[in-house]
Amino acid sequence: MTITIRDEELILAKERAIYLPQQELLAISDLHLGKAAHFRKAGLQVPSTLAQGDLERLSILLERFQPKTLLINGDMFHHDVNTDVDDFGRWKLQYSNLNFILVKGNHDKLDEKQYQNLGIKIHDPSYCTSSFCFIHDAVKCKEENLYPISGHIHPGVAVFGKAKQSLKFPCFYFGNDYAVMPAFSVFTGLSLVKPKANEQVYAITPTKVVKV
Amino acid sequence: MNKGQQKVLDWLKKDDKKPFKFQEEAWSYYAKGYSGLVNAPTGFGKTFSLFLAVVIEGINLANTKDKKKAKDRLQLIWITPLRSLAKDIARAMREVLTELELDWHVGVRNGDTTQAEKLQQKKSMPEVLLITPESLHLLLAQKGSSTLFETLKCIVADEWHELLGNKRGVLVELAISRIKGLQKAAKQQHLRVWGISATIGNIEEALDVIEPDLNAKRIIIKAKLNKKTIIKSILPDDIETMPWAGHLGLKLAYKLLPIIEKSKTTLIFINTRGQSEMWYQHLLNLEPELAGRIAIHHGSIDFELRNWIEDALHTGLLKAVIATSSLDLGVDFKPVDTVIQVGSPKGVARFLQRAGRSGHSPGETSKIYFLPTHALELVEAAAIKEAAKENNIESREPVIMVFDTLIQYLVTLAIGDGFDDKVIYEEVKNTHAFKMLLPQEWSWLMQFITSGGDSLTAYQEFKKVVKDEEDGLWKVKGRQIAMRHRLHIGTIVSDAMLKVKFLSGGYIGMVEEYFVSKLKVGDSFTLAGRILEFVHIKDMTVIVRKSKQKKAMSPSWLGGRLPLSSNLGTVLRKKYNEVLNKTHQEEELNAVYPIFLVQQERSHVPRNDELLVEIINNKEGFHLFAYPFEGRLVHEILAALVAYRLSKLIPITFSLAMNDYGFELLSDIEIPMDDAIAYEVFSPENLTEDITLSINSTEMARRKFRDIACISGLVFQGYPGKYVANRHLQSSAGLFFNVFSDFDKHNLLLRQAYDEVFYQQLEEPRLAAALHRIQQSTIVITHPKRFTPLSFPIKVDSLRANMSSEELEQRIERMKVEVFK
Repeated sequence: MTITIRDEELILAKERAIYLPQQELLAISDLHLGKAAHFRKAGLQVPSTLAQGDLERLSILLERFQPKTLLINGDMFHHDVNTDVDDFGRWKLQYSNLNFILVKGNHDKLDEKQYQNLGIKIHDPSYCTSSFCFIHDAVKCKEENLYPISGHIHPGVAVFGKAKQSLKFPCFYFGNDYAVMPAFSVFTGLSLVKPKANEQVYAITPTKVVKV
Repeated sequence: MNKGQQKVLDWLKKDDKKPFKFQEEAWSYYAKGYSGLVNAPTGFGKTFSLFLAVVIEGINLANTKDKKKAKDRLQLIWITPLRSLAKDIARAMREVLTELELDWHVGVRNGDTTQAEKLQQKKSMPEVLLITPESLHLLLAQKGSSTLFETLKCIVADEWHELLGNKRGVLVELAISRIKGLQKAAKQQHLRVWGISATIGNIEEALDVIEPDLNAKRIIIKAKLNKKTIIKSILPDDIETMPWAGHLGLKLAYKLLPIIEKSKTTLIFINTRGQSEMWYQHLLNLEPELAGRIAIHHGSIDFELRNWIEDALHTGLLKAVIATSSLDLGVDFKPVDTVIQVGSPKGVARFLQRAGRSGHSPGETSKIYFLPTHALELVEAAAIKEAAKENNIESREPVIMVFDTLIQYLVTLAIGDGFDDKVIYEEVKNTHAFKMLLPQEWSWLMQFITSGGDSLTAYQEFKKVVKDEEDGLWKVKGRQIAMRHRLHIGTIVSDAMLKVKFLSGGYIGMVEEYFVSKLKVGDSFTLAGRILEFVHIKDMTVIVRKSKQKKAMSPSWLGGRLPLSSNLGTVLRKKYNEVLNKTHQEEELNAVYPIFLVQQERSHVPRNDELLVEIINNKEGFHLFAYPFEGRLVHEILAALVAYRLSKLIPITFSLAMNDYGFELLSDIEIPMDDAIAYEVFSPENLTEDITLSINSTEMARRKFRDIACISGLVFQGYPGKYVANRHLQSSAGLFFNVFSDFDKHNLLLRQAYDEVFYQQLEEPRLAAALHRIQQSTIVITHPKRFTPLSFPIKVDSLRANMSSEELEQRIERMKVEVFK
C-alpha cells in the first residue's frame, strides 16, 4: 500500500516495514534479535527457527525494494550478544553494500564496539530526513518541524463489526502528532492503539495491508 | 485381636463409642498389607478409618523395635486438596494420639506453613505429615528429599474424588510413583496407598488411578450408611418478578433472612468469589442487625482471617457464613445445621457434598435450600432433586497424558536430588495417567527440558536440565531457574495476584493484577466483606485504608464456568417434558409454568423427541438459537460444528455463545436455514473430520494452551507478593501458541492443547449420541418476533467465540475501528 505523508511517498509492506522511495530507505522497528535465544538461556523453549524466519522476511524485503539504507528504528537487539546475534552477523555478510543504521531504543544496550564490529551505524536519539524524524519513542522527539516516526509500543488495532464481531491486527499508526511502526519481530505482543477520528491506521493481514 | 486394636477399642469404649463396620474393615485390610479406597459419606469418621489403621500398626510396632533415629520417623503422608482442611484434621489427630499415649508428632505443610516450621521439618520429619499435592512436589524439589520416605508406611489421598478429575490428581499419581520408586531402590517396600472418596459414578476407576498396580493387594471398602438429605427450593411469590437471565439472585435474598434466623448456623454457598462479596454487602444492607454475626470466606481472603472465621464457625459464634467452594470439603463444623445453595451447582455430586456440610454427625439429617438466580433455574432445581433422589451421581474422569504436568514434574525432580531418566520413565509408565506414553514421546520430553527443542535443533545456549557428570543424574544447576520453578509448582493457573494490606498493617487478601490495573487512587472496592479505599501499590502489595463509602465495586476473580454434568442434562430434558404434560411432582415446576406459557406463545417448548431452532432477527444481527440440552461443554463444540458446516454453504462470519441449555450463532448476514439444512448441519456423518476442522478454526485449543504454557513453565505468572520482575523474559501463552504453530508443529504441548479439547471437553461418544438423538427427533424451526425465555440467557452471555469462512479483507471493510472522539 502506498500513502503520502508530508508530500512524500511511503510504501507500507505487509512484512511490517516502510519503504521511502525518495530516500531509497527501508525502515523496520523492534527487531528484538536474540530474544528467542535469551529465552532459551533462561530455560524457556523458544524455537530458533523463529529468529531465522524474521531474517528471511527481511531478506525478501531487501530483495524487493533494493534499498541503499536499512534503518532499524530501535530495539534491534533484545538483550545481549548470543547465538541469534551470531546468526545475524553471518546473514548480514550477504549485504555488504547496504548501509545499516540503528536508531537506539531502550533495549539496545550493547557496547559501541559490538555495533561497530557488526557494521552498524548508531544514531542516538534519532535519524532525520527532510520530512521525518525516525525515533524509537515518539514522546522524546524534539524536532518540531519534522513528523516523528516511532516504534517501541508494538501497535495493534482492533476492529469491530455488527453482530459482536471483532478482529485484532498489528498495524501502522499515522496520528496527528506522530506515527508508530509495527514491531518487525513476530515474537512480540500487541498494545492496542485507539486512533482519534481523523487519524489513519493500516492493519496488517497475512496477505496485505488494509486501511481501517 | 492385636494390642493396638485393643487399645483403640478401649479408648472408644471409654467414650461409649464403637467403630463402624467399614472402619474395622479398613484396619484389618490395612494390617494385611492392602492398598485401596474407602468410600464413605462425610461425618462418619472416614478419617479415622485410615488414620487409626496406621496408628494401630504404630502401637503394635512401638515396643518391638528400638526407637528410630529422629531423621527417619515419617509414617504417614496425608494429602488434602484444601489448605483449610489440614489444620482441623491435624487437631483431631493430635487429640487421638494423646488419648492413645502414642508419642507421634503431626505436622502440616502447605502454602500457609511458615518458613521456620518447614526448616524444622527438614531437620526432623513428624510421624504424620498433612500436605497438599503442590507442597508434596515442593518437598520432592528439595535437596536431600530422596531419603525422607524410607520409613513411610502409608500415603492417604483424602477427598480423592476432588483431585481425581483434574491435573492435581496427576501430581498425586506422580509423587506416589516416585516415593514407591525410592522405597524400591532402598529395598524398603512397605508403602500402602489409600484414597478416601465420596460416592462417584466411577469408583472402581478411582482405585485404578491411585493404585494402578493390578498385582498389588487392592480393595474398595464401602460404608453402608445412609445419609438423609432434605432439599427445598426457595420459590418466588410471583414468577413474573424473576429475571430470565443472571447469576446473582439478589432478588430473593430477603427470603433467606427467616431461614438464617431460625437456624443455628447457616452456610451460604455462592458460585464465585466476586458474587460472594456482593451477597455479603447485600445481606448486611437488608438486615443491619447481622453485622458482626455473618462472615465471608473464600480462597482470596487472607489466611489469618480465614482461620478466624473457621474457628468462629466451630464455636458457633457466627450466624451465617457466605462461602465459595473454599468450604466445600471435609471439615466438620458442628453448629452448621442449614446450607443454602445460590445458583445452580451444575452437578448432583457437588450439591450433595455441600448439603453434607450441615447435619455433619452420624444419624443427623442434612438440610439444603436452593435459591434460583433466574427463572429457568427452577427446572434445574427439580432435575437436581430427582437425580439426588435416585443417587444418579456423576463420574470424575481421570486426566491422562498431560505433558505439561509431566514436564513440570521432571524439572521438579531435577531441582531436588536429580533423576535417572531410565528409572523415572519406568515409574511414569506405571502411573494411570501416562500408561500410554510412547518411548518417542518420552525422548521428546527429555529433549525439551535438556536441549530446548527436538533433536534436529540442539541449542547450545539452552540451559535448564543438565546431566551431572559425577553421578549421571539429570539436574538443574541454575539457581534462577530453580527459584522460578519452585514458585510456580502446581497446576492451578490463575492471573497474577497481588496481596492487599492496610496502610496501618494487616493483610486482608488477594486480588488479580488486572483488577488493580483499572483502579485509580481513591477508588473503593470490597474484599473480605470490607469496603476499602485504594491508596497505592508498593512492593507488589496493594495498600488500602478503610473507606467511608457505603457502596463499592467487587473485584472479579478469573475462574472457569462450571458446565452442567451430562447426568443432569438428561434429567433436565425429562423435566421439560413433565411440565408440558403436567405430570410433574415438584413445586418448582408449578412455579415456573407461566414461563413455559410465554415460551410456547412466542415460539415453542421442545419435547424430549424434538430439537427447537429459533431464528430471530433484530438490529444486532441475525441470531440462530438451538437447544440440545447437552451441557455447556458439548454445546461449545456443537456450536463450532454447526457454524463450520453452515460456513461451507456461503462465506459467512459467526460469533458463538452457549449455555447449558443451548447455543447461539450470531451473524451480520442472514443465516441459511430450513428443514433440509437443519438435518444436514446436525448430521453425525463425517463427524470426526468436521469436528477437527471446526476446532481448528476456533480458538478453543488456544484457550486450553493458556494453562498448559503456565504449568509447563513457558510463561511465568508470578506469585502473590513474590512477583519476580524480569521484563526481558515476559511473554504470553498466546504468543507461544502462535510460535509453536508456525515454527514447531510437532510440539507435544501444542498437541496436548488440541487433545484437551478433543478428549476432555468433546466427549465424542456423547456428541455422536446427541447428534443421533437429534436425527431421530423432529427439528422444529420457529421465527419469534422477540427473544424467548430460552434464548435470552444465551443472548446476554458475553463469553464468545468466532468462526468465519470469509476473506479477512472483506470483513475488515465492513468493520470499524473503535475511535476516540
